[in-house]
Amino acid sequence: MNVVAGGRIMRHSAANALADFKAMYSIRTWSFGWLGRVVSQVIFFALIGRLLDSPEAAAFLLIGNAVMIAALEAMMVVASTTWERRAGTLPLLVAAPAPLALVFIGRSLQWLPSGVATALIALFGAGPLFGVTWSPAEALVVAGIVMVVALTTYCFGLFLAALVLRAMELRNIVSNVAYLTMMAICGVMVPTTFWPGWVWAVAQALPLTHGLRAVRRVDADGIVSSVALDCLLALGVAAVWLGIASVTLHRLAEQGRRDGSIEFAS
Amino acid sequence: MRTFAAAFGFQLTTMRRSIGDFQPLITAPFFTVIFLAITEHAGRTDLAPYAVLAPTLIALWGMALNVAGELIDSERWSGTLEALIATPSSFASIITGRIAAVTTISLLAFVESWLVAWAVFGITVPIEHPLEFGTTLAATAFAMAGTASMMSAVFVLARSARIFQNSLSYPFYVLGGVLVPVALLPGWLEPLSRVVFLSWSADLMRDSLTVGSVPAAALRLLAILGLGMLGQLTGVLLLRRVLVRVRTLGTLTYA
Repeated sequence: MNVVAGGRIMRHSAANALADFKAMYSIRTWSFGWLGRVVSQVIFFALIGRLLDSPEAAAFLLIGNAVMIAALEAMMVVASTTWERRAGTLPLLVAAPAPLALVFIGRSLQWLPSGVATALIALFGAGPLFGVTWSPAEALVVAGIVMVVALTTYCFGLFLAALVLRAMELRNIVSNVAYLTMMAICGVMVPTTFWPGWVWAVAQALPLTHGLRAVRRVDADGIVSSVALDCLLALGVAAVWLGIASVTLHRLAEQGRRDGSIEFAS
Repeated sequence: MRTFAAAFGFQLTTMRRSIGDFQPLITAPFFTVIFLAITEHAGRTDLAPYAVLAPTLIALWGMALNVAGELIDSERWSGTLEALIATPSSFASIITGRIAAVTTISLLAFVESWLVAWAVFGITVPIEHPLEFGTTLAATAFAMAGTASMMSAVFVLARSARIFQNSLSYPFYVLGGVLVPVALLPGWLEPLSRVVFLSWSADLMRDSLTVGSVPAAALRLLAILGLGMLGQLTGVLLLRRVLVRVRTLGTLTYA
């Protein structure tokens, strides 16, 4: 399959994603419902800094949790991937000549712009309340990094989604447990060095760790070259996850063709 | 009371087949690890009771809200709402009984959090005032059941409210002071916080976990019970309105 055809498949799949998003949210429900909820989430965690009587901790928690929102929404790929199976369209997708991975890469892209927007609103809107401010140039760079965080976490989420397609009832549990684990170990709440070595090593395999480190670097040192290196590392880790996700989806399709499990599993 | 008990038992049986309903109990240990990591990293071991208590309140709120949102709708979709309403039993007792079962189970989150604190961080959180703690826990479960009953009716009466169901978590965790006491919030938020029963529960439970006296425990307990009762009464009235409305419009069931 050539690149043009692959791109066309992903574009159609993304159009499906956008239609889903429009059916789920209006501007009113997104603004007052979802945005209100995630900004409250960021404030909830940043307020812990006040409990600790530490403005530094408040700023640390605000940055970590605002960036986390982009990852949180990207992780919704786990649930929305399973919607195809629930709708009964998965057997048709397996029967089609297009690779399943291409369809599912585009299928949940709706979460990325939403996640980036909510994360940036939380970061730039609630940030000053907790002493977090940026210069215009830094804000621009941070916005770019948050996009990287959303995209790279999406690749990791896609792998989990491929697994969860075999156990649909676990979709919400897996995505919640995964995002809470990321919150705990990726440097969102405490530096990754707080954890034992093996937990630190696991965190390095998650793209959020590197993306968030890049944002913190901009906060601490301004725009420095190592920010680009962090982003490249996040993209590299994400590429590995995307590859594993593609293989897992391919295997799911092949197994489904062999034993007919796709129609009957739920 | 027999109806309430039967509904309570029915909900327990139903939940045995639905792992998704236990999600807040599955996530509670993760919240404990997160909160304790923050307090331990800051060297504030004195805040461990806060970190252990907050996941309990989060699980309580999350589970009750989840079931409140689904309860009446799921009966409608399965075509059993008509039969339920046709019986001589009080419909409000059935709803409250089922929600009470969920809130009771969600209290297990405290045991989970306590064990996680001990197993992961080696922290044991003593319950300094067991009587106050136990009664507050029971009053909180009662208030949660009342509030969730009210919400279950609101979700049916105002369809648009259901869209915001998922948004009713963190704003209430902030207002309810589940981790950060209301006293540390901006002053203008305090009157709003005080009508959320969680703020009374969280403060009183934190006090009963820590050394020192628990001031005005009886009054604060009454505030929790009063707000719970208010929620319960509002729920019963709204449920009556729901029933009148669906009977009038002929939309009692979809099946």
